[in-house]
Amino acid sequence: MKRQTRQVVAQLVFLALWEVLTRTGVIDPFFVSSPSQVVLTLITLFSGTEIWSHLQASFSEAILGLIAGVGIGVVLGLVAAFTPIISEILEPAMTLLNATPRVILAPLFTIWFGIGLGSKIVLSFSLVVVLVFFAVYNGVKDVDVRLVERVKTLGGNARVLLQEVYLPSVTAWVMGNLKVAVGFAFTGAVVGEFVASQRGLGYLLSFAQSTYNASLMVALILLIQLFVLVLTNLADRLEQRLLSWKYRQRALPSPAIETKLPSSSLVG
Amino acid sequence: MLDISDLTLSYGAEPVLEGVTFEVKAGQFVSLVGPSGSGKSSILRAVMGLQAYSSGHLALAVGRDQIGFLFQDDALLPWRTARENVMLGLRIRGMTNREAVQAAESWLMQLGLMGLSGRYPNELSGGQRKRVALAQVLALKPRLLLMDEPFASLDAIVRHRLTQDLLNWVEQEHLTVLLVTHDLEEALSLSDVVYLLSQGPRARIRQRYAVPFARPRDSIKTRTQPDFAPLLARLWQDLSMEVFPVEEDVTPVEVEV
Repeated sequence: MKRQTRQVVAQLVFLALWEVLTRTGVIDPFFVSSPSQVVLTLITLFSGTEIWSHLQASFSEAILGLIAGVGIGVVLGLVAAFTPIISEILEPAMTLLNATPRVILAPLFTIWFGIGLGSKIVLSFSLVVVLVFFAVYNGVKDVDVRLVERVKTLGGNARVLLQEVYLPSVTAWVMGNLKVAVGFAFTGAVVGEFVASQRGLGYLLSFAQSTYNASLMVALILLIQLFVLVLTNLADRLEQRLLSWKYRQRALPSPAIETKLPSSSLVG
Repeated sequence: MLDISDLTLSYGAEPVLEGVTFEVKAGQFVSLVGPSGSGKSSILRAVMGLQAYSSGHLALAVGRDQIGFLFQDDALLPWRTARENVMLGLRIRGMTNREAVQAAESWLMQLGLMGLSGRYPNELSGGQRKRVALAQVLALKPRLLLMDEPFASLDAIVRHRLTQDLLNWVEQEHLTVLLVTHDLEEALSLSDVVYLLSQGPRARIRQRYAVPFARPRDSIKTRTQPDFAPLLARLWQDLSMEVFPVEEDVTPVEVEV
């Protein structure tokens, strides 16, 4: 049996067992729901129109938080890496922010930015920006010094170094962290909604919790997982496109190398 | 072409090099040999302006834009193709994109990399990457070539082929070369003058050897010339004295030059 087949079979067995145990009353479906109930809930959710506004809210918050976090994280990381006086201020601030579970800031953001999209975008942003800042900051610090010297010996100035060495290095670091950032962005959006909101998947989760609706909770968890997977996959493709040089296969030894410089007597 | 006098260079409190004095005349092939850690590479880096020195004089007859530097590592930009890597220096010097593409393709072809110009460095073998690095430097038509054991990591055959190709080019174009190497035979077979650095710290020029072989040279056949072995023996003995100055079990070699 192939690996993929084994994985599918294992999942089907798990679902079947879950269904049987809840139907026979061994496990109380009030707390864990059942696969059939979850599917029914999902059908009900998508047969109405309300779900789309919740999805739109969560998506908008996560995507805007992600874009702002990546954009500002890259700029701050670059500025800090090249300006010692700014890094003296920014690095400890970012380290402190990194050490703070950002989720605890959600109530504060709600007071500052209201219960609309703003507070969730800021929470998403706060999670992503720290990750990207350190990716860029450390990326610049760890840039291969041999490449820097090589470009200098070819006559490259600071602009050429930034364009040819630092930005491509930083792109590799940022892309490597983008998949994690996608997960962070959704965490920020959903947790923000969970704390205080009128729309979004987090709001629905909070509603499901208050009504003890296990089926809705599991259905929403599945939905969030699905969206994060789709976005992670997109990030993966973007990485492979931007870093295509990394993913090219090493070539087979080339057959003929014949130098046309004054020919070598050693070349047989 | 290059005049270094009384050069002192430190990384910490103690100087790595102290009072180093030597010259490289235009059109000469000069090698620097010496014990590990004697600061050979630091001299090249100081000439290129990558390393500051504490005192002394370093006079260059050409601008730094006319110096080509071949590193021990090929250090090609991994995100640029072979063609783009060669184009980089040309573009920096103001060549248009179209001219740079043509020049890069032409150099890659001359160096036997036809059909490989669109490949990234990780798609090339070690020898091919060295050829790209060589094309990158030679395309800028340097008048002084600094080489820091550029082919040390390659296997013997590829290394000799590349060395001979480069030697032919240097002789044809009358390039001035300053080579740093651990390989005494290589130094003697390629150079007009070899300088031996003493054991560091506070390394200095210990000895100058004039190499009498005529050009054009074959880097292997030169080693079979009658004067080669005694010269090598003398260089070897002097280097051994630097590395093991107090040990008596270094077999003395009879020198008959």
